[in-house]
Amino acid sequence: MSEDRELYRRLFRTALLIRLVEERIIELYPSDRIQSPVHLSIGQEAVAVGACDALRPDDLVFATYRSHGFYIAKGGRLDRMFAELYGRVGGVSKGKAGSMHLSAPEVGLMGSSAVVASTIPHAIGAALSFKRHGNSRIAVAVFGDGATEEGVYHESLNFASLMKVPVLFLCEDNGLAVHSHRPVRQSYSLVKHAAAYGIASRRLDEGWDMLAVRRATLEAAARARAGEPFVLEIATARYKEHVGIGDDFHFGYRLESDIDAWKKRDPLIADKALVEELTPAIEREIEQAVAFAENSPSPSRAELLTDII
Amino acid sequence: MNVTAKKPQAATTRVLSYANALLETMDGALAEHPNVFIMGQGVDDFKGIFGSTTELAEKYGAKRVFDVPLMEEAMTGIALGAALVGDYPITTHIRADFSFLAMNQIINLAAKYRYMFGGIMSCPTLIRVVVGRSWGQGAQHSQSPQATFAHYPGLTVIMPATAQAIVDMYPQIINRHPGPVISIEHRLLYNLDFTVAEGHVPLTSYVARPGRDVTVVATSVMVVEALRAAQYVQDTAGIDSEVIDLNSISHPDWDLVAGSVRKTGRLVIADTSWLEYGVAAEVCRQVVLRDPSMLMAPPTMLGMAPAPCPTAKSLEDIYYPSQHETVDAILTQVRGADHGIDLPTERSMTEGYRRFRGPF
Repeated sequence: MSEDRELYRRLFRTALLIRLVEERIIELYPSDRIQSPVHLSIGQEAVAVGACDALRPDDLVFATYRSHGFYIAKGGRLDRMFAELYGRVGGVSKGKAGSMHLSAPEVGLMGSSAVVASTIPHAIGAALSFKRHGNSRIAVAVFGDGATEEGVYHESLNFASLMKVPVLFLCEDNGLAVHSHRPVRQSYSLVKHAAAYGIASRRLDEGWDMLAVRRATLEAAARARAGEPFVLEIATARYKEHVGIGDDFHFGYRLESDIDAWKKRDPLIADKALVEELTPAIEREIEQAVAFAENSPSPSRAELLTDII
Repeated sequence: MNVTAKKPQAATTRVLSYANALLETMDGALAEHPNVFIMGQGVDDFKGIFGSTTELAEKYGAKRVFDVPLMEEAMTGIALGAALVGDYPITTHIRADFSFLAMNQIINLAAKYRYMFGGIMSCPTLIRVVVGRSWGQGAQHSQSPQATFAHYPGLTVIMPATAQAIVDMYPQIINRHPGPVISIEHRLLYNLDFTVAEGHVPLTSYVARPGRDVTVVATSVMVVEALRAAQYVQDTAGIDSEVIDLNSISHPDWDLVAGSVRKTGRLVIADTSWLEYGVAAEVCRQVVLRDPSMLMAPPTMLGMAPAPCPTAKSLEDIYYPSQHETVDAILTQVRGADHGIDLPTERSMTEGYRRFRGPF
């Protein structure tokens, strides 16, 4: 097997794991065993997988409420993720975090926040610290295109550029903020806007292509590591509704045909043979994680008032 | 200034202004902890946040003490991110009002990080905010947001009333407090000199003046006012006031407060902010919940008038409680409204702080 083929298989397996995990969430959700708003990343897996594979293990990722993909791609434990979704003590955060606040600091996934754009400056702070202490790590701020409309995004870009901190701004552009399309929200082009702050940027339209995402992130991360903040905007597609497990095409705010082109290129759909080959082992892994969650107890009353300060 | 945060030898005292106490603790923190850095708008300029960070940038370099753009939310988020990876950031707001631009980071993120992530994340950091008063600070340079911040679990909110409180509490916080701390510093205190002794002001309430006739619970600059008023009523009426510096707004010592009220039966509360849904209301709640029969009379509460702060001096003078009213409140608690004791003529409390001449 060629090196490229091996790399493709590795990325594909992680992407398929993310998709099958989220499809399992869809199956479980009606049972109410997961009582947490879930923001599924089905359709967007290639971004998390390609980007995280391009990072060093000790590079930090600061994420959003739509973070199952980044949690898994950065190497977070699946059983503890399911336990977290179940609200059980075996969860990453003893059930206090749920789906919207996943983290796995041991593998470099720092906090995820439900408030749009709010973790962007955290990446700058970590990057500032890396620079102050003279190490070669980078911090990655992951956010959606909607987040770029928030004031703190603009403050963060300005400061990152001024201070030349090793930060990578990674924008997952799915074109939607809840149900609002990008043209009614933005008067700017993200990459041109970054240039106004003196920040180099690139837009990648082939967001379904894990290898292309990986290559683009490797290049962007190298720039960031050299103290040159970089904005990498990656086009992607959200197949499911904003929050929840359903399809929402019948509401008419978007059309299923809008994402047909993406589905045609989606390797997790197109590469049927590899899906078939890898699925059984992944399903077993998911079953074990779900069993771990099922068997983990709920937090006791004492947990209500611990870890506040 | 070549100073450190080291405590003076036992039994020695010295005179230290509030601003110099701040400078001393900032200097000490930078000297002792390589992970400490200070950022804020103007921290490295010639005024250095009213003298509390002056020349520290020259001494420790721009990587440790640096100016930032006007970006209150991002600055707070940057501090949080740096704290998550082991640094100890100190941020400043030359007016507390500007911290409202950082409310998202303070309330939605910093206050919640430890709990929300089940104890695996923590963001120890010190946020210094300065409350303005007098010289026409007006509606947006005078707000005292202790009740707002203390309302949210996860934050530690303190209001140091003296130089002693600064030199004792700040090193405790910077050395080992695990979470975000908001310190509300009062601009009128900056220029005051305090006698500082070997001591230990806890990160909670303490008795600033023991007494038996009436309990006065005060915050920040009102502690200074309460102590002056206590001296006045002692001298003019022989009334012995116990003054409690609430000191920590988020984690007061309610047993201390209740114990005092049980002893005196009378309660005056003097806060630097509005009374509605505020600290004074919370003190009442705590006392009443414990045992309402402790109170021999309804408590008296002093705070700002229920309006935004006016700029005109004639209005500002009656907007804040004066020494006149503070003394009257204590006398009325103990002797009744017809106490017959002459009140101090000082209507404007700023008369007590003649060294504050503005502009800010």
